Amino acid sequence: MKRFNPIFHPYLTLLARLLLGGVLLVAGGLKVTKPTESANAVAAYKLLPTNLAHLFGYALPWIEVAIGLLLIVGMLVRPAAIAGGLIMVLFIGAIASAWARGLLLDCGCFGGGGELDPSMASQVHRTYFIEIMRDLGLALSAFYLYFFPYGKLSFEKAAVEEQ
Amino acid sequence: MAKQQVKSGDNVTRWIVIAMILLVVVTGVVFSMMSQNNKENASLAALDGTKLMPAVVSTIDTANGSAITLNAGKAKVIDIWEDPQCPVCKNFEDSNGDYIDSLVRAKKVTVRFHVLSFLGDESVRAANASFCAANEGQYLDFHHALYAVQSPLENSGFWSNEKLVSIGKKIGIKSTKFENCVTKVSELELVKANIQAMSKFGVTGTPTVFINGKLWERKSPDFNLPEFKAAVEAG
Repeated sequence: MKRFNPIFHPYLTLLARLLLGGVLLVAGGLKVTKPTESANAVAAYKLLPTNLAHLFGYALPWIEVAIGLLLIVGMLVRPAAIAGGLIMVLFIGAIASAWARGLLLDCGCFGGGGELDPSMASQVHRTYFIEIMRDLGLALSAFYLYFFPYGKLSFEKAAVEEQ
Repeated sequence: MAKQQVKSGDNVTRWIVIAMILLVVVTGVVFSMMSQNNKENASLAALDGTKLMPAVVSTIDTANGSAITLNAGKAKVIDIWEDPQCPVCKNFEDSNGDYIDSLVRAKKVTVRFHVLSFLGDESVRAANASFCAANEGQYLDFHHALYAVQSPLENSGFWSNEKLVSIGKKIGIKSTKFENCVTKVSELELVKANIQAMSKFGVTGTPTVFINGKLWERKSPDFNLPEFKAAVEAG
């Protein structure tokens, strides 16, 4: 693996960092100013007791912003990638479970969220599939970053090289 | 030796960064929660100075889903299905509530309020309290007050039975009968009967409105009074 095009790894890493970090930063940033909406959106999945769901809904946007920033600037990339990957797996599980239980939800991924009315069923199922594929792609980026954490324009790498 | 120092120094920075991130996240969460609580308690101020309107006697129409029925037996009938916690129901109430009140008080139409509670425990408590208020003849007042203070966060813990009693007190429903009814959840059977009626009448969401038994389908994206008024007048 390491012999295979080693020159490209730093660029691929940068791409993965910007992709995963960018999506997380935008998703978190859009929700951070609307904590109530986020708490309602998490509760709508009916996976956690209401109080815990609300707490998670309050925390999630901040966590997303933090991970997103770390990935973009290139600090603590490996831990951030692990956290980002875990979050993506969590999202995939939550959406799949909502789908399996026949819930009709707006995922609330980028704000909004909550239950949708039955007339939108077929549309919602397609959206679930797209969302799962998207999160799978982002989880793979995180996986890649775990093995190749430092790439081009990485803050931490620059600090290490200076010494 | 020097190399080791650099390494440990690196680790310290790492932990400082982690600690700072955690601090920001925790502060953010605490801030979000506090602003939510403050908003809820501040919303009670909206009820300050509310005057209790004259009582309107209501009946429970068991043949039509055990709804709270005002002015039973008029030619024109409006059925309103709503959950006290539903935000869209609040929009409907904000746009059309006063008009519906005026129709009831002028004794022009029969209005049947089907108080649903599928959004969780707080809806059940609020629905029960609504039936308690109806027993006092003050359903319209209480209904209005509930939507005025409705929390944007569902099941936030805001509508405890104690809070529902104090909402009643604030608008002038002060009897101990009401208080007991709310705290003992005395009208739970009616609450259940209203939910069970949903499937019989083909109601799958809230708010659902029937005018003379015909489902009202709004054309505008938001609720607006002229459209609803026209629909009611056309029957």
